[in-house]
Amino acid sequence: MKAVAIVVAALAFGLLPYLTSSNYILGVAVSAAIYTVAAAALNLIYGYTGLLSFAQLGFWGIGGYATALTVVTFGGTFWLGLLWAGLLNAALALIVGYPTLRVGRHAFVIVTLTFALLVTLVARDWVDLTRGPLGIPGLPAPSLFGFEFKTTSHFYWIAWIYALLALGFLYALGTSRIGRTLVAIKQNEPLVRAQGIAPMPYKLAAFAISAAITGIAGGIFAFHLKVIDPLFLDFYYMQTFLIMVIIGGAGSFWGVVIAGIALSALPEVLRFSSDFRMIIYGVVLLVIMLVMPGGFAGWIRQRRLARMRAALR
Amino acid sequence: MAVDPVYLVQLTLNGITLGLLYALIAVGLALIFGVMQIINFAHGELLMVGAFAMSFALPAMGSLYWPAMAAAVVATMICGLVIYETLLVRLRPDEFERSILITLGLSIIVLHVVQYLFTANPRMVDTQYGFDGVLIGSIRITWTRIIGAVVAIGAFALLFVLLKHTQFGRAMRAIAQNREAALMVGIRPRVVARNAVVLATGLCGLAGAALAPIQLVTPGMGQFLIFKAFALVIIGGLGNIPGAIVSAIGLGLIESWIGGFFEIVWQEAAVFILMVVVMFLKPDGLFTRGGMRVG
Repeated sequence: MKAVAIVVAALAFGLLPYLTSSNYILGVAVSAAIYTVAAAALNLIYGYTGLLSFAQLGFWGIGGYATALTVVTFGGTFWLGLLWAGLLNAALALIVGYPTLRVGRHAFVIVTLTFALLVTLVARDWVDLTRGPLGIPGLPAPSLFGFEFKTTSHFYWIAWIYALLALGFLYALGTSRIGRTLVAIKQNEPLVRAQGIAPMPYKLAAFAISAAITGIAGGIFAFHLKVIDPLFLDFYYMQTFLIMVIIGGAGSFWGVVIAGIALSALPEVLRFSSDFRMIIYGVVLLVIMLVMPGGFAGWIRQRRLARMRAALR
Repeated sequence: MAVDPVYLVQLTLNGITLGLLYALIAVGLALIFGVMQIINFAHGELLMVGAFAMSFALPAMGSLYWPAMAAAVVATMICGLVIYETLLVRLRPDEFERSILITLGLSIIVLHVVQYLFTANPRMVDTQYGFDGVLIGSIRITWTRIIGAVVAIGAFALLFVLLKHTQFGRAMRAIAQNREAALMVGIRPRVVARNAVVLATGLCGLAGAALAPIQLVTPGMGQFLIFKAFALVIIGGLGNIPGAIVSAIGLGLIESWIGGFFEIVWQEAAVFILMVVVMFLKPDGLFTRGGMRVG
């Protein structure tokens, strides 16, 4: 029953370009698909594995720049650019992750944060490569076998298919033995060690996978915007992903997916000015962390447990 | 390559001033981490509050440097007290990620409210010392920089006395070293944690007030510095105060030298590269000899 509902919902999202021709709505839908994937990738490393990574912002930016530079500077295709975005980010995640995870989860948070900042600074100051604050405007529409993804509705297909693939992969990973090991590492690392499982390869793998998925999402999003500049690394994106994970419920796949879609649509409906939106994000983050740290999914789980306890009594 | 010695001395002096101000911020973070095992993400915004308080207090007090600085420090300390009593007091010592997210929320709110109220335009701050300086040979340093450095050194001396020789500071170190044992001898973690947060925000406000006349005051000024301060706390060893001070001054020097001879990218990247190297070679920080220490 649940599986049928999910397939129907996924297909319904695929039919969106037939239901509306509004570029505005399709644009929001592209953002929703991409943000949800990035949030789900953050959920893999933070929600499942319990490692709060701010480096997602850096991976997002590197993915965007890698794809754009592959096409514009090195004359490759969009698809090759996405491949580079994924590989480069996975490699960087391993390089940054290995020394950091040896130190501990406190250091991990701080190092990933500094990494994100470093990427921003490099994007702004390494003018020879990234063209600095001016950025790279006019990114061409991607094409496949002669078909050009020119309009927003065509581009939506790319975002939709990528979202399906990435979310499907993350769901499969989360429910597999690997996913359960990650949750075990979050809940009780000494016990995992005592079971003869080395946590380090699992943590590194989770970090690298989440980096690659975020990077490719960033690459697609840059071509949706058709321009990339250091603003692509605005901390706003990191906050958006974080809020989605935290409201949805860290560690809950469906919670984060639903929150991702809902929170991409809500600000558009409510139409706040950007300063005011940030203040609201801040307040929401603060209140959720104070009142229900498990997000909506955690809250529902608690209610269900409480009901079961009451029924047993 | 021939290096002009005057230029080198100038860079070194700038680096020391910069490093001392980094140190004021990093020490606060290290202090809070030592006592509460949390990281205060809003520390940069507190620095900005200190700088803004200075920029408002100076005209009100007829450009007098010292009273305005005192007012800015007191204002920041009150903010720290409010933050502790409303938010941080709810955190248990093992809730590291939660502490980051809560203070991140706070930092977003403070940053954007200030930006909304006072706009993002940079503000110039003028003091009784103006932009005068002293000339030593052909090296010129402004008075505000010299005073900033002196104030920072004074603050560290005071902090040292406080932590080593008063009951107030001993309680802080006790909690940092062994929470259970400290509880058993009747030290109240809540009170000590509050003191630590207020002390740390005071140092932060001091740094903000000292920075205000040196550079432009903008709502975003704290953000750049806070990332560096985080890295310094890692380099020096989490919760290690002398380590934070030494690595902050070291970073100030390194950044200043690199900035003088290489492209600006390397200046910004220095802190990150330094941090990764330190983590490879000495995962507990450069200055840690086993165990967590404060003071």
